[in-house]
Amino acid sequence: MGSAELLQFAVAGLKNGSIYALVALGFTLVFGSTGIINFAQGEFFMLGGMLAVFFVKLGLPLPLAVVAGVLATAVVGLAFERVALRPRRDSGPLALIIITIGGSMVLRSLSRHAFGGNELSLPAFTEGPSIVVAGAAIERQALWVWGLTIVAVAGLSWLYSKTKFGRSMRACSLSHEASRLMGIDTARIVMVSFGLAAVLGALAGVVVAPLTQTSFNVGARIGLKGFAAAILGGLGNPIAAVVGGLALGLVESMSIAFISSTYKDVIALVLLLVVLFVRPEGILGRATREKV
Amino acid sequence: MSLLAVRDLTRRFGGLVAVDGVSFDVHEGTIKAVIGPNGAGKSTLFNLMTGFDRPDAGTVSFNGRDIVGMRPHKVVASGISRTFQNTQLFEELTALENVLVGMHTRLRTGLVGGALRMPWTVAEERRALERASYLLRLVGAEQYAQTHAADIPHGMRRLLEIARALAAEPRLLLLDEPAAGLNNFETQSLSKTLYKIRDEGVTLVVVEHDMGLVMEVSEEIVVIDQGRKIAEGPPLLIQKDAAVIEAYLGEEGAYV
Amino acid sequence: MGTVAPRIRVVLLAAASLVIASVPFLTDDRYLLKILTFVGLNAIVVAGLALLLGFAGQISMGHAAFFGLGAYTSAYLTTAHEVPWLLAVAAGTLLAATGGLLLALPSLRLKGHYLAMATLGFNEIMSVLFVEMRGITGGNDGLSGIPFPSIGSLVIDSPAAIYILVWAVAALAFVGAANLVRTRPGRAMRALHGSELGALASGVNTVGLKVQVFAVSAALAGLAGALYAHSVGFISPSQFSLEFSILLVAMVVVGGTGSLTGPFIAAVALTLLQYVHALIPGLSKDAAALIQDWEVDISGLVMILTVIFVPGGLAAFLKRRRSGAGVEGEIA
Repeated sequence: MGSAELLQFAVAGLKNGSIYALVALGFTLVFGSTGIINFAQGEFFMLGGMLAVFFVKLGLPLPLAVVAGVLATAVVGLAFERVALRPRRDSGPLALIIITIGGSMVLRSLSRHAFGGNELSLPAFTEGPSIVVAGAAIERQALWVWGLTIVAVAGLSWLYSKTKFGRSMRACSLSHEASRLMGIDTARIVMVSFGLAAVLGALAGVVVAPLTQTSFNVGARIGLKGFAAAILGGLGNPIAAVVGGLALGLVESMSIAFISSTYKDVIALVLLLVVLFVRPEGILGRATREKV
Repeated sequence: MSLLAVRDLTRRFGGLVAVDGVSFDVHEGTIKAVIGPNGAGKSTLFNLMTGFDRPDAGTVSFNGRDIVGMRPHKVVASGISRTFQNTQLFEELTALENVLVGMHTRLRTGLVGGALRMPWTVAEERRALERASYLLRLVGAEQYAQTHAADIPHGMRRLLEIARALAAEPRLLLLDEPAAGLNNFETQSLSKTLYKIRDEGVTLVVVEHDMGLVMEVSEEIVVIDQGRKIAEGPPLLIQKDAAVIEAYLGEEGAYV
Repeated sequence: MGTVAPRIRVVLLAAASLVIASVPFLTDDRYLLKILTFVGLNAIVVAGLALLLGFAGQISMGHAAFFGLGAYTSAYLTTAHEVPWLLAVAAGTLLAATGGLLLALPSLRLKGHYLAMATLGFNEIMSVLFVEMRGITGGNDGLSGIPFPSIGSLVIDSPAAIYILVWAVAALAFVGAANLVRTRPGRAMRALHGSELGALASGVNTVGLKVQVFAVSAALAGLAGALYAHSVGFISPSQFSLEFSILLVAMVVVGGTGSLTGPFIAAVALTLLQYVHALIPGLSKDAAALIQDWEVDISGLVMILTVIFVPGGLAAFLKRRRSGAGVEGEIA
């Protein structure tokens, strides 16, 4: 395999990897503030793309439609937390997980009712031919993917490290009890983390829609891959989510390059299972000694 | 040879040394108390002796066998049972069922036998029920046999947890603050129960704050302060030990 | 356990069994019998899933895959290798159990609900494999011409006979599960759901027990899948989707934890919901289509509403409320 070809695969891997990273960040945010895995995370990705397509069809200009799609998904995320999860927030993780599973089921199905069962596509953000770098063609949309990922990650790290809200959020992820005693409004933190997770998921869904098309049932698989990325890096750590996402994307595209494309979806899942079994704290996670 | 030999046991949590080089022996057929101010490391000590936590250094040998690193259920099977400072009952099960679960290591019925309800399963169940009822009587909780644990009054819950621990037929029983939250009358009946248990051939180690109870029932006392053993001996000597009195100064409600 | 007076329980149980057993004598509607056979198949899976989720407190989002594993194994062995039916079904069951064991062994060591994601991932992997391993599974076209169940020269080929076979297995599964929850392993399951520390201190090997229960529930799903393949004669990958897995979880959640009767009733209701057009004679075509179209939403919403408002599920209604404390067996 020539170096140009290899580069081409690497580009594809980093492109998909960025998407996984955004979804993984959503998992990390919600896990950080609630300690649960949000099974509806993939549906935020789906809704972002579908809603943007819907707004374009309504006649909104593309940039507005994209923003509207992301914001509308954020509203769905906030509402989902407020209506379905808050009433049982003092329950154990099992109840909350079941609610997010039910939520993903309903969101997916409602989306099919609203937007139909067909694959839909969104126009590219900027028209024009691919850019060729060292023999590898890079779609213009891929630049958007990277650009938005960088903006999202930068924004999130700013939020985490520089704002009062971010500090509350980190406190919350360490201990709900202690945070509440310190006067932090944990309910608000949880709700906002769902909103942000929805924004990140929707952003990923919107920015990749011009490349892959979208449909009502894309959520489950992207959710799994995002989760795999989050686990691969180490659940609960935003930097790790990004590293995990990019690593997963690269592994996936290299496996297509060197093995075959038939099982490309299986690779991520097998990797997920292997990491769960062998190193559940992730690549960057610190091994914690198990206390029974 | 002692039944239980704790040697140089150490457990650190980050910078904090919760248990610091503690050694002591427990002889068969005795009641030993472990006392110390709050946060002295008593519960950590219990966790280290029952497989719920692993020491950073030191050994615990039970009946001549090192049990460090054994998983909790193996420790139970080897003959050490315990209760918890915060009772860990099965709230949705009846008192009788709670004790039956305690017999887990002494019963044999597996998934297949249980599902098929083989004749020997039925026979084993019958024997188990008899023994569970006996244990409830032993601790005086028989009137709650069919009551869900969640609905049992506080004092009785501690006794029920003791009955459940006894169900595993331990040679050594570790009780973590059995008198916490009990009234005087209940504490009195607890001390009688402890003697009854010892007379059945079970060796006891009791972590306790109620000094009246400790002085009454225990033959030997180990005093722990800030993770370290500061004294060991019979109750009368411990009461006069300067280091012990020092450690307890300012401890609210405790007296020596 | 149930606080409904035991005698009433027995009478209700006998009545239900009688109704189920008499169906083949009351109707010869092939389609109706087929639908009710599907109800029985789902009930078999739910018996195992109720043990896992409702009693041991562990969730699986991969039971459709175990169902599929049983179906494909048995179908492949009987069609490609002419293995006797009974042996093929046993192989399907065993393979599902082994798969369950291999999946549960590592993921149950972990805290939190990694098992949910691991099983979800497993379901997706199997969905891909069912499509891609064309040599065995026939790819997207699936496998057809799967023979009817037969033991020696006895061929079970009428809808009524298949109905009886499936329901006999379902009855055995429920009787076995009911026995189990009343004896040592079942008590231990309920115990670890209540207090994991207490269970450990009682000498219960909590990880080992969870793994065993997971394997048993996977085996029951595999068994139901194998029976399914031979009842319908044709299987394809889309039948073993994640959606089916979630529907099965919904049945147990709606039915209620710590109960077998509740999940059974929920399994019957939620399965029949899919075939409502065939069951209510006067129903207009449009209304039937509407219900079918919204079936997933209904199941999902009912599941969410159950967890929020009736955490004890249907079972909560079957049991009298205890004074003071909440309803037995809520989802914690």
